[in-house]
Amino acid sequence: MATTQETKPDLVTLTIDGKSARVPKGTLVIEAARQVGVMVPHFCYHPKLTPDANCRMCLVEIEKMPRLQTSCSTPVAEGMVVKSAKSDQVEAARKSVLDFILANHPLDCPVCDQGGRCDLQDFSHEYTATKSQFQELKRVFQKEYFSPLIETQMNRCVQCLRCVRYCDQVMDVKALAPVGRGTLTEIKAFGTHELDCEFCGGCVQICPVGAITSRMSMYEFRPWMLKRADSICGYCGDGCQITYQTKNNSLIEVSSTHGSGRNNGDLCARGYFGYHVSEHPERIQTPLIRQGETFQPAIWEEALEQVGQTLLAIKQQHGPDAIAGLITGRCTNEDLYVFQKFMRGVVGTNQIDSSVRYGHLNGVRALQRVQGTHRWTVSFDDIVEADVLLLVGTNVTETNPITGLKIKEAVKRKGAKLITIEALQPAVGTISNIVNLAHHHFGVRADGFQGAVLALMKSVLETRGMAEDVKASATAYGNDLMAQLSGLAWSRLENRTGYSLSDYGHAASTFCQGKKVVILVGQDVLRASGGYGMTMNLLDLLLLTGKLSNPGCGVAPLAEENNDQGAFEMGAVSDVLPGGFSIDHAESRTAVSKHWGRSIPDSSGGALPQFLERMQSGAIKALLVVGENPLGSLPPVSGIEQALEGLQLLVCQELFMTETARKAHVVLPVCSSAEKEGTFTNTEGHVQAVRKAVEPVGDGRPDWEIFSALSIIMGDSMEYGDVKEIGKEIRNVLPGIRPLGPTPIPSKPDAMVVCGYVGGEYRRDLDSRYRLIDEQPDFSDELLVSLRQSLFHSGKFSLKADGLLKVESEGKLYVHPDEAARRNIGEGDQVDLCNDRGTIRAKVGLRERIPMGMAVFPEHFDQEMRGLLSYAVDPETQVPYYKLAQARIVKV
Amino acid sequence: MIFEQLQNEVTAILARYPVKRSALLPLLNLAQAREGYVSEPAMREIAKLLDLTPPQVFETVTFYTMFNLKPIGTFHLQICKSLMCALVGSDDLVAWIKNQLDIGPGQTTSDNMFTLSVVECLGSCGTGPMMQVNDDYYEQLTEEKLKRIFDDLRRDGTCSLKSGPFMYPESAAK
Ligand code: SF4
Ligand code: SF4
Ligand code: SF4
Ligand code: FES
Ligand code: FES
Repeated sequence: MATTQETKPDLVTLTIDGKSARVPKGTLVIEAARQVGVMVPHFCYHPKLTPDANCRMCLVEIEKMPRLQTSCSTPVAEGMVVKSAKSDQVEAARKSVLDFILANHPLDCPVCDQGGRCDLQDFSHEYTATKSQFQELKRVFQKEYFSPLIETQMNRCVQCLRCVRYCDQVMDVKALAPVGRGTLTEIKAFGTHELDCEFCGGCVQICPVGAITSRMSMYEFRPWMLKRADSICGYCGDGCQITYQTKNNSLIEVSSTHGSGRNNGDLCARGYFGYHVSEHPERIQTPLIRQGETFQPAIWEEALEQVGQTLLAIKQQHGPDAIAGLITGRCTNEDLYVFQKFMRGVVGTNQIDSSVRYGHLNGVRALQRVQGTHRWTVSFDDIVEADVLLLVGTNVTETNPITGLKIKEAVKRKGAKLITIEALQPAVGTISNIVNLAHHHFGVRADGFQGAVLALMKSVLETRGMAEDVKASATAYGNDLMAQLSGLAWSRLENRTGYSLSDYGHAASTFCQGKKVVILVGQDVLRASGGYGMTMNLLDLLLLTGKLSNPGCGVAPLAEENNDQGAFEMGAVSDVLPGGFSIDHAESRTAVSKHWGRSIPDSSGGALPQFLERMQSGAIKALLVVGENPLGSLPPVSGIEQALEGLQLLVCQELFMTETARKAHVVLPVCSSAEKEGTFTNTEGHVQAVRKAVEPVGDGRPDWEIFSALSIIMGDSMEYGDVKEIGKEIRNVLPGIRPLGPTPIPSKPDAMVVCGYVGGEYRRDLDSRYRLIDEQPDFSDELLVSLRQSLFHSGKFSLKADGLLKVESEGKLYVHPDEAARRNIGEGDQVDLCNDRGTIRAKVGLRERIPMGMAVFPEHFDQEMRGLLSYAVDPETQVPYYKLAQARIVKV
Repeated sequence: MIFEQLQNEVTAILARYPVKRSALLPLLNLAQAREGYVSEPAMREIAKLLDLTPPQVFETVTFYTMFNLKPIGTFHLQICKSLMCALVGSDDLVAWIKNQLDIGPGQTTSDNMFTLSVVECLGSCGTGPMMQVNDDYYEQLTEEKLKRIFDDLRRDGTCSLKSGPFMYPESAAK
């Protein structure tokens, strides 16, 4: 590969308050000043936003320039001499700006939640302008209800419009309006309506004064009373850095800091308003042991003894494979690691699985097979810098909102071209919609992505052909794939997807022009039939166009749960060893078992769908469930109910009484992620530290401690003093695991593996991957119901978050207004959904982004809906698919 | 759907601008011409036509004083309260109207005939005090004139006292 010459940005030298600064050309004076430690006071400037220069607080004196200049909008120039703190003229100007602001500001600091961290307070102290010289009456806005989570107090507003610009430029939501003009401008939503938006909390965080505040913690604190702990959000795979702020061991608020974390200070509703889960009154406080139909509280020793002894007895009587374990990807790496070590080393079975099985595994497996990595070869930064982005089935603004922000930044600020293959249609709504930004959008039904992916591939290869080095070094591979694609007739593809040859042609030529191409694969692909094959096809696409190994290019499957990636890497999957190696990989087996001083069982164990079967047949007698809720999430057709019924021992390590826990013999209370230490690995493969913010509720313990205690009872002690010891062991066992750091270093494709793949390995399932999935019968009157993640929830877990329930507290069946009108249904109407599996009742909601013929239901409220779902298991990756149902809709 | 019957106008307006959102003000004018004010459904419709959010349309409406957010009477009386007119008695006119029609600024008569607004300079400073009624100017107002104007408007829907703003002939202005 040719080495690209790193071009150094032109540097400019200037002097600020006597200090010399050397900064890249184009830097704003205010930023250059910050770099040499000169803080220029400002309200409307924020590094995330384009300069607006509306507040005049940042005026500085620049030699040879007439008048004072706004440093927030003036770029540096060579030899510039800037005076900020050292100029009387500047000092006077700033005083008078404050004078004007204070002319209207109510000075109600004693009752303002911003007090103590307010820019206006700070600057007023600095310039000793504690009150205005103006004698006129202050403006008073009528106080209006704003929203359930966000409060406004417009008398305090300094009209910097940071909130409005953030909501537009960063979030692309545009929910805030500066209403009126002049000093009488106030920030409102629409008319007299309350705010309806993504509730990302960004406007609260970016407001320099106390004009927009959170209702979740109103009047509860002063900033200096709060204890802080930097940690990682426990909801989605984006892995945002958050700061828990606590007072007397209770969570007061969550914040984030510009410049830190992979999220760079941005959050979504789940992260910003969803933190109260931890303090929910229904948290399980003590171990519980079943006594007939009820549970009796127990002490830890008793509960552990019972679990440990029963496990031993079952193992002795029926062998280790009569025991299985299921863990959630919400646990820390340390929990996951100790879990699988316990199951393999102490119990002696590979019968383990985790939530990564529900879909993320499809992506990781494909990456491993083609390029030999189980991590992305790109990072969030590559998304921002990409010139072409292809999104397939992501609905990213809801599932992975921060990845969504990176895409928005790339497209809106950096001019990247966006191609989307999504079920959604472009339509402006109260939450953002990534396909609105697309240059080429293919709106296909959730079961038709494969057709569009293949059509785009075919078009790319037919117009541009293969990359030269593929032609030369992987001739057979190239020819075989070309043959497969040629075998697909355009007429069929056009028919299937509803887009024409020329539509694909336009997108293909955009795709081919890309030098840094990132393909994001979302849950709608990974959790649906054919998801693995499609991820493989997309990898083929990058390979054939010669981009796979180029820096800045890659296929990136999006993880749903915060530590799905970690669950895979820690080996919490039946056929995967710590480090992501296959259970049959001899070298790793030896290495790991040497570290452990224990042998690793031979049988590959079987994945979740298989051990469901083995549970039903009675071969499995005991199941350990850690933070998972299979009874609440798998559809009845999977046989989960019967599977649990026959168990001799069902142990649940849980925060709450879930459907599954209710069936358990023993329930063990655990710590939430705010109550323990450890690490999470985000969807990029970045390992980040989780820190304890509050003491555990009740007798809750971290999950790893429970496994460790059980191992002692079972006579095969696996002791750890603390989490750090586990971390050390993980790093020893997996020397490849990258240490914590501010940014991830993306993996590189393993040339050997790629070579093996194009050399012949690809043939294994070539036909099945390139065959159009069978035509669906024409359901002119039925709807394809897709269960999807909502922006405001994450699994069933967030249903315990007060803040999020205030925004979304019930599941509605969302359809397009025309679809509803066609069926004579209106917003809020009750309908029956029926298919041959059953009938359920749902309330209708209207959303313009949902295509005709489809309906979307938030999966968090799916209790009844699950009865309608179809269920299938991927033959290659054993991923269970159960997110779609075909149903008739009848108005009641 | 207020634009349903205005398809041609809407199409013509949209065709004028390469950037969709530039059509915002003309569409708002159209909506106001139709309904007398800019209603919420109209704002939502415009937002949809232009790929904007309703708050974005709303903020624009509130920036311009000539858009009404509430239904107004048949005749919209807009009295200039800027300095020149104030010096020659615009306040007295407002007081007289309050007395005669029982409406203050922002209010509408109970028969829905008149809505009163006080506005900034309308560019007829030399012939103040003045007001604009819908699209017409009335200048050098006195209480007698006002009385006659209101009577005429009530009776005929128009009044012969209306004048354009005084304009210099094009050539003289050069
Ligand atoms: S909370 Fe709502 S209004 Fe505020 S920035 Fe986020 S999306 Fe916009
Ligand atoms: S509410 Fe806050 S961020 Fe928004 S304009 Fe006012 S002061 Fe600025
Ligand atoms: S849910 Fe995801 S995007 Fe939202 S704050 Fe948490 S990690 Fe970030
Ligand atoms: S910060 Fe520069 S003008 Fe507001
Ligand atoms: S001041 Fe009244 S028209 Fe100018």
